[in-house]
Amino acid sequence: MSAKRKTAVGVIFGGRSVEHDVSVVTGHQVMRAFDPERYEVVPVYINRDGRWYTGEPLLELKNFKDEITSYKGVMNAVISPSVEHHGLIINPTSGRFERSRVKRLDVVFPAVHGSHGEDGTLQGLFELADLPYVGCGVLASAVANDKIMTKIVLSQQGIPIVEGVSFSRAEWQEAPDKVIGHIVHELPQYPLFVKPATLGSSIGIGRANDETMLRAYIEVAANLDRLILVENAVTGCVEINCAVMGSGTDVRASVLEQPVSWEEFLTYEEKYLRGGEGMKSAERLIPAPLEPELAEQIRQMAIRAFRAVDGRGTARVDFLVRPEEKAIYVNELNTMPGSLAFYLWQEDGLSPQQVVDKLVELAREAHAEKRRSTYNYQTNLLEVAAQRGLKGVKGAKGRAKNPTAAP
Amino acid sequence: MIWLAGTIIRIYRQARFYQIEEYKSGRYLRWALARRDRWLPARPAGAWLVGLLLALFISDAPGSFVPGAVGVITGLIAVWPPDEGEVKKGFKATARAKRLLGAAFVSAAALAAVALLVIPRLPDVSDLRLVAALAAGFALWLLAPVWLVIGNLLMTPVEAAFRRQFVRRAARVLDEVQPTVIGITGSYGKTSTKTYLAHILNGRWKAYPTPKSYNTLMGVCLAINNDLAGDYGVDYFICEMGAYIPGEIESICRLTHPAISIVVEVGPQHLERFGSLENVARAKYEIIKALPPDGVGVFNWDNPYVRKMYERGYPGTRLAVSKTVNPADVPPGGPRFVASDIEETLDGLRFTVTDAQTGEREPFVTPLLGEHNVTNLLLAAAVAVYEGMPLRDVARRVRSLQPAESRLVRQMTPEGITIINDAYSANPVGAAYALRVLSLHQGGRRLLITPGMVELGPLMESENRKLGEIAAAHATDVILVGAGQTGPVKTGLLAAGFPPERLHVVDTLAEAVSWYQNELRAGDTVLFLNDLPDTYSS
Repeated sequence: MSAKRKTAVGVIFGGRSVEHDVSVVTGHQVMRAFDPERYEVVPVYINRDGRWYTGEPLLELKNFKDEITSYKGVMNAVISPSVEHHGLIINPTSGRFERSRVKRLDVVFPAVHGSHGEDGTLQGLFELADLPYVGCGVLASAVANDKIMTKIVLSQQGIPIVEGVSFSRAEWQEAPDKVIGHIVHELPQYPLFVKPATLGSSIGIGRANDETMLRAYIEVAANLDRLILVENAVTGCVEINCAVMGSGTDVRASVLEQPVSWEEFLTYEEKYLRGGEGMKSAERLIPAPLEPELAEQIRQMAIRAFRAVDGRGTARVDFLVRPEEKAIYVNELNTMPGSLAFYLWQEDGLSPQQVVDKLVELAREAHAEKRRSTYNYQTNLLEVAAQRGLKGVKGAKGRAKNPTAAP
Repeated sequence: MIWLAGTIIRIYRQARFYQIEEYKSGRYLRWALARRDRWLPARPAGAWLVGLLLALFISDAPGSFVPGAVGVITGLIAVWPPDEGEVKKGFKATARAKRLLGAAFVSAAALAAVALLVIPRLPDVSDLRLVAALAAGFALWLLAPVWLVIGNLLMTPVEAAFRRQFVRRAARVLDEVQPTVIGITGSYGKTSTKTYLAHILNGRWKAYPTPKSYNTLMGVCLAINNDLAGDYGVDYFICEMGAYIPGEIESICRLTHPAISIVVEVGPQHLERFGSLENVARAKYEIIKALPPDGVGVFNWDNPYVRKMYERGYPGTRLAVSKTVNPADVPPGGPRFVASDIEETLDGLRFTVTDAQTGEREPFVTPLLGEHNVTNLLLAAAVAVYEGMPLRDVARRVRSLQPAESRLVRQMTPEGITIINDAYSANPVGAAYALRVLSLHQGGRRLLITPGMVELGPLMESENRKLGEIAAAHATDVILVGAGQTGPVKTGLLAAGFPPERLHVVDTLAEAVSWYQNELRAGDTVLFLNDLPDTYSS
């Protein structure tokens, strides 16, 4: 595109998920990272109930202390799935005072964590709308968001994972003893971790040292998700995180971080809320104190895991590592990591501005790649159907001919 | 009343030609007066004369109904609408045309009313009233073109207001959708270049080209208001701009503000309206002058007039393309995109494109025919690459191109005859390439059907003669449509030694078609070169 006008980037944050607040913070970090000379940032906020808004006041993080919709200038807005809008419809149900109008977006940046955002649902909307968007596509987002599916895909590619067992809430509620029996058979050794399959940020995760705790944690998890994962707790390990960025064969890995308060367990409060101002001050070692050789092995594994789920854009891959034995397990992938892992890229000499620039470029490339496929294939099926009626075209699939002969 | 009805029919019929002449009264009247049978057809005039004489002769019988009856019968004979013959471009009942017809009808009816009021009051001397009635009726009918022109004059302020409103609406749409505007002009090749560029850009972005050959200010506004409005997904608006008068391109640019402008060719097209090639070039340069300083100009280096525009140095970013410069030998400040190793077969064109700035080379393969398309594709590729599409992606898109409508489109009839349709706006360069495509078909007879080329001003005679000379080398049979304007083509053909028995001159396209349907067999090829509007038909 010629440099005639600024790139309109819609940054979406909030969301109908338990990670709503974190996402608001990430969204503002992202919005602040864009160079105002080249980008026009359009904030799009989804509240906890799933209502969508846009407007100037959303650009100020401090306004979120109050009821944001009470601010003057906050308007209802939706991203239209219809391609001709290519962005937001503001005031979609125009009332007596507000006219509805379209705001074209050149690219969208979903800074939404967890359900209804990081799980492929938002991405599906962007695909329908034919909008270039930052981050992983529908499939990679959905797979990475589901801890069970992630294990299946990664183990298929020979990437080491922690062994686990999965079952549904219905199975648990109908026959809890049978489920426990199966778990004990497959995973005889306590402690075990219980995790809801699709929730992020450690929510609903419990570490069980015996069967009573196991049952209690499963009960908690079953209230949060339809599918539940129980896996071995890797003892004597450290947690290591690595951010990746790129697409296809061109993926780079960041320096490694080690969150330090692993000792008992990383609770939600510890992960996000310790200290005064959010994630930045959560205690972590960057770079993680590992032998260079092991660190490089982890970085390569991060790239492999990212590619295994057909990732693009960015992700943070979380590992469990036993440094002495050089044992590495991929624990999970976050396709929309908190703060976009800006703090890791910073160590690699990439400013947040450079990170969002790169992510927008990747979004455009992915969109260009999509355009290389043809979606509009002319057949004469409708002509035939119009002539003969529906009976005449029974089983027409595959028979309709392509009238590509010169017109 | 009969005369009035006849007049209204005639106005309606004439409106078609008026429309073809773009509602330009001067052009239309010149056309109407150019031949007697256009403004004074034989049958009505004869019928009127006979009726007049008869009426005078028998009017002696007082109180008889005979004169009246004679008047009715001759009147009917006179105004009965003639068979129109072949209609290639029918009347389009646009809103404007309807307003015009209404105004013309009203002005004709008003005059008829005046006549009806005045004639009974004339002194009852001999046959004065009868003659006056007949004369008035005939005049009413005869002056149908004048009513049209008067109607148009009456509507001028109304139309101007409508136009201004229409342009303002288009400006608003562009302001909302904010596409990057790419302007294309040239004496020829602009529709093809536009179509190819849109296809290439659509491999990565969304491009909307002005449809068909819409290239006037009103045509562009129509495209914007009908199709661009509400489509916020469009990244590029590709706007073809025609120059029928100086200042027209400037006015389109004032509306659209192109960020990128392409000049395809400067040639003798519409020369009769411009007077000289320099004037044509000046009109085309408006598209470059309208660019902002940070805009991009894209030029065809191989055309001397266009190359001069490139060398004038505005804007700062200029790209030139060439299919004649050796890629190994591009002069400094010379063309950036160069085509070499051009091969043309029945399957299409193959050539290599070199980006002289990066040294990148990419083979291009396309089903398009006609070597002039190499230039059109280079221009389109230059824009796409400048906008960030890899040359390789451009080449991939070019593979799947289809020719623009009626521009060297090849089809096979059920009988196995190959038809090459190059019916739009034949120009000397395109015509020569089209004939070369014809001569690629060595399997059987090669028939050229053409009415020659028009609107070439002072060069019309020499260029048509040249066309005949080239055709003699490529075609085995030639049918010229219309004896009048094809004279020079015939001279050229015969001068080049074309066998006279292989040359046929017919009056209508339909005759030409029935000729080849009878004469040609499977394996033969027909080239339709140019198709004239009905105002040219003999």
